[in-house]
Parts: sequence; structure tokens; C-alpha cells
Amino acid sequence: MIALLENSLDRAPLGVAVRIARIDWNAMSEDEGRRLREFGLMEGCEITPLHRGSIFSRDPLALTIGRMKVIIRSSQAAAIAVEAVAA
Amino acid sequence: MTGAVPSIALVGNPNAGKSSLFNALTGARQKIANYPGVTVERKAGHASFADGRPIALIDLPGTYSLTPASLDEAVTRDVILGKQAGETRPDALIIVLDAANLDNHLCFALELLALDLPTVIALNMLDLAQRDGLTLDAERISKELGVPVVPTVAVRKRGLPELLAAVDGAIRSHQPRTASAAPVNDAALHQRARAIARAAIVSETPVRRWTQRVDNVVLHPIAGMIILLALMFLMFQAVYAWAGPPADALEGLVGTMQGWVVDNIPQNFLRDLVVEGLLAGVGAVVVFLPQILILFLFILLLEASGYMTRAAFLMDGLMGKVGLSGRGFIPLLSSFACAVPGIMATRAIPDEKDRLTTILIAPLMTCSARLPVYALIIAAFIPNRGVAGTGVGLQGLVLFGLYLAGIVGALLVAWALRRTVAKGVNAGFMMEMPRYQMPQWRDIALGLWQRAWIFLRRAGTIIAMTTVVLWLLLTFPQAPEGESQVEYSVAGRIASGLEVVVKPIGFNHDIALALIPAMAAREVAVSAMATANAIDADGDEDAMAQSLGERLQGKWSLATALAFLAWFVFAPQCISTIAITRRETNGWKWPMFMVGYLFLLAYAAAGITYWTAVAFGLG
Repeated sequence: MIALLENSLDRAPLGVAVRIARIDWNAMSEDEGRRLREFGLMEGCEITPLHRGSIFSRDPLALTIGRMKVIIRSSQAAAIAVEAVAA
Repeated sequence: MTGAVPSIALVGNPNAGKSSLFNALTGARQKIANYPGVTVERKAGHASFADGRPIALIDLPGTYSLTPASLDEAVTRDVILGKQAGETRPDALIIVLDAANLDNHLCFALELLALDLPTVIALNMLDLAQRDGLTLDAERISKELGVPVVPTVAVRKRGLPELLAAVDGAIRSHQPRTASAAPVNDAALHQRARAIARAAIVSETPVRRWTQRVDNVVLHPIAGMIILLALMFLMFQAVYAWAGPPADALEGLVGTMQGWVVDNIPQNFLRDLVVEGLLAGVGAVVVFLPQILILFLFILLLEASGYMTRAAFLMDGLMGKVGLSGRGFIPLLSSFACAVPGIMATRAIPDEKDRLTTILIAPLMTCSARLPVYALIIAAFIPNRGVAGTGVGLQGLVLFGLYLAGIVGALLVAWALRRTVAKGVNAGFMMEMPRYQMPQWRDIALGLWQRAWIFLRRAGTIIAMTTVVLWLLLTFPQAPEGESQVEYSVAGRIASGLEVVVKPIGFNHDIALALIPAMAAREVAVSAMATANAIDADGDEDAMAQSLGERLQGKWSLATALAFLAWFVFAPQCISTIAITRRETNGWKWPMFMVGYLFLLAYAAAGITYWTAVAFGLG
């Protein structure tokens, strides 16, 4: 269970830049995976989670990638392992 | 390419400013229709080259790649590849790129360039890129990609002549290349896009991003929700407060026209048809144009400014709990104006079951066609006073309650549907958040004009026709002296038949009579009652002087009035909604299901309201 060693994006603190270490493509549908890649969310890229949920729920998650801000659900964020960006 | 008008397609990612560019190029010379067989909106328009030769422009739905995730994205692919039925393949492409988001937008551009059509790139929204501290080298991008790149600022009409000249040149000088294939996989594509973007950036000054500070408040879990609620409240307040004077003016105009016809045309069959049927009926509906425009004004502004996606973000949590997604928020909010554009907007929802559920509950949002009914009954039966010690008006509170009943009903229905007929895994919610932008008055005005035209055309066709037919049915056969014309007529007799069914829920003959023509559109219930009233009052001076509301007050009990309101929270009485649902779901199954479940709910809600009210002695 490598998940124990990794931090998923789902639990990453807001406002801190992280690098995507691994994406479990099997945890999502093919369409979801393709849309993630179209947003540019791929192994090795840098992102910053910024906003999470509302009073109703922890969903969804807004993050920046490059100059773009995108929204994903926490179920997808849970399949994305991130690591700290070397300072 | 000899003689024929060249057709040029605008294509690009969502949020690249494509529609603004299209509006700037074509102005009001646009035609909005649907692609045959699908309900995706086809936006086409005309422009011309500097020397006056005409060109046909078509604005394709924004998409991220040629692999579609939703219906409208599929249209984009099919048109570009020349596979869309009834549509010729475009002679040239204008790829619209957001200058501030090149890394991402260049991916799709690379995919499109591999198709080897004559192509020009519009490096759009250059002003916003500069706001973000970016300086770009358009020449460099052009060199890397091998096609002309023209910097544009669509909203200020900057770069447009240069863009068209470049398109002209591209079509003339185009020579098929041996395919310069796009990178084979997503990762390689992104790498290439990033490399080009990096090469194109001359300088990048970090600027303080006020937009991020705005988002920190607007997307705050609590503060953001309060702002959203406040905006919604303001919107619905404005619909009532601002619409008053223009609505009164329209009403006065209809009255003047009726008076003019009565004064200048001798009493005959045709005059009655015009005054009692056409003018009374259509007039009763057209007065709601100001309210509809105000509602659409808000929706268009929220959308153009970039706020709408923020609202979707905030609502996603709640909507996720009943199996929907934040994507559904925009169609549902539009449904407060009218369910037809609302249902059409669902095509951007990628998950099929999520989309179906959103379509099925869209008619529960209180659309503007219910306003005439609600406004009439509330004004007649609910006292115009404040609620003890609060400063909140009782009439407004009842109206708010009706809106709320629709929303709560919709959430419960969605919850039930997602567990039964529209069962499926919880849909995802993936969306790009556009940057904040100042809405352009030209785009807003154009959008409002298109909405107003659709509404007026409807009033002039469906509503005019049903009122005239109803008037004929109400006028014949002529009642003998001493009998009520409305009761004696064909329509009156049909209504008497229906009355048997709706009597248990407190409905009377008036309502039964109004319900049948109101199948065409809810607001016809009002025009039908107005027409019946006009015929009923024929010749009776006292009755003529009374308003429709006053007449109803004398004839209905409060329990009946409340039951009638409850009925319209649910009743699916709108031919256009049923028709659009049939088209959007490709068959009669779902519209029939929708009509069935909504009538059941309407009957139950009206019944429960009536029986409760009677139990409290309001019968």
C-alpha cells in the first residue's frame, strides 16, 4: 500500500505549491482522466490547491495549474499523489 | 475557392474569448439556430474582407481537444472534420488562443494545425495577459507553428482587420503539406505546447493578482455563500422592483390599443376577436417582458464576468449530495428565467445521468411564465401588509415561499431520481474557472436582444394562436338570453368535464377553463381568464370596470387560490419545455415521464394545500 507513503492532493494544505508525483488513472473513468490531462494535470507538473468546498461539503477543490484555475472533485484529488516542491 | 463565399470557423478552448471575437467580427449580423438533429446552438454570422468580399463565419463550441466529452464538443469535432450532417467543412480556421494561458491552449492548437486546413491564430485577450504582467512575442509563435499569428483584443475590436487579412492570405496561399503530425500522446503534446509558450514569453513581471484576493472572499466557505445568497436575493428583488414602471407602461399601451380599436371599428365579430381575444390575451403576457429581460440581464452579467463558475463551485457541495454537480447550477439558474434555455444549457454536463436528472428537474425552477399567474393571484388574495414587526412584506414572502417550494421539490426529486430511474455513479465536476472580466455591453445587449426576440416571437405565435382558439371556443355557440356565455360555450362545457377531476383539490370552473389552454404555456392561464372575463363582462359596465383580480376575489375562496398557486409550482404546463425535453433526450420516454410525475406532484400539492386550508377554516 504505497498510499501510506504519499500525500494525496485531497489532503494537501491549501495555498502551498506541490508537485504531482503519481496519478492513479485506474481510480477514474477514461473521460475523467482525459479531461485531467487536457487541463494539464500530469505527473511532474506543479499545482497549488487554493479553495476547498463550502459549508455543505468538502467538495470540490479549486487549484491553479500554470496560469489556469480549475475545479475538480475530491474523489479525483484522492487519486493524485503529490510531493513537496523543493524550495 | 472560386466565387463561393468562404466559410471560416472560430475554434478554441472554453474561455478563450471566442464569442466576444465572433460578436466583434459579425456585429448583429448573426443567426442562431440549431444544428439539424442535435440541439447544440449553431452561431453563424457574416463579415467581409477589407475589399468587401463577403465571408461566412461560424462560432464553434469551445473544447479542449478533438476527443469530445460532451454533445457540444462533439459538434465542434464533426464540423471541423467535415462530418457534421448538413454542414460543409470550413474553408479556413481561426484558432482563438487566450494569450495568458498559452501552455494550455496551444495543445488544442497543435492538434488542429495537424489537420492542415488554412489556419490563422488569433492571440486574443492580450490586454488581460498584460494585466497579469506578460509580454508576448507573436512573431515567435508564428515561426514555431508555421501559421500567421495576429494579436487581438476582441472586446476593443483591436486587430480585427489584420486578422481577416491574414485569413484571406492563408486561404489564397495554402498548399497542402505532407502532414506535420501532432505529438502522439498527451504528455508529448503538453511538452511541445509548454516549450512554445516559454519561447514566446518575452518577459513575465510578477504583478499583484487582485483577482486572487477577490477569489479568497468569493470562494470562502461561509463568506462566499453569503455573497451568493445576497446576489440571488438582489436579482429576484430587482425582477420585481425594476420591472414595475415599464410593465405598467406596456399594460397602458395595450389598453390604449384596445380603446382605439373599440372607438374606431364598428362592433362586429372581428372587433371582438381582436379586443377580447388577441389584445386581452397576448397583452396579458407581453407585460412580463421587462421581468424576463431583467432576469436575463443578471444571468448574462454573472456569466460574462466569470462569477457564474464561482457560484457553481459553491453550489457543487450541496448539489453533490443529491447526486447532481455544480455544472447543473447554471442550467438550473437559467431555468428561473425559462426552462427552455435552461434545458438546452445542460448539454455541457458530460455525465449522462447527471444531465438527465438536471433536465427532469429544470421545470421545477420557478420560470418567468409562472410570474403572471403568481402575481395575479397573490395581488388578489394575499393582503398587502408587513409580517408583524419585520418590515418584510407578506406578498413578497408568499412569492419567496413559492420559489423555495420549487427548489426544495427539485432537490428531493433529484435525490429520488438518482436512486431510481437515473441511477449511476456520482458524477464528477471538472471545470475551468475563467478569469474575472468586465462584461462588454455589446455582448450583453446582443444576448438580451436575442432573448427578447424569442419571447416576443412566442407571444406572437403560440400564445396568440391559443388565445384566439380559446376565444372562438368561448364565443360559440351563442348563449340564449339570461345564460352565462362562458358556461354555455364549447370551452365552458369541456371545462365542466375537467372540473369533475379537479374538484376534489378545490378547483372551480374558472380554473378548469384556464388549465386546458394553459397546456400551451403557463401564462396562458392568465390570458385565458382575462379573455373569459372580458366575454363574461360583455356589456356589463360595472363588471368591465373591475380588474381581473377583483373579479376573482369575489368568486374564489382563499383555499382555492392557495391550491391554484401550489398547482403551478409543479404543473408541467408548457409545450416548449416538453418539446425541448423530447429533442434533448431523443425520444418521448423522458418527456412523458416528466409530464406524468409533475402532474402527480401538482395534484398532490394542490390537494394537500386545499384540504389543509379548509381544515383551518379558509374554505
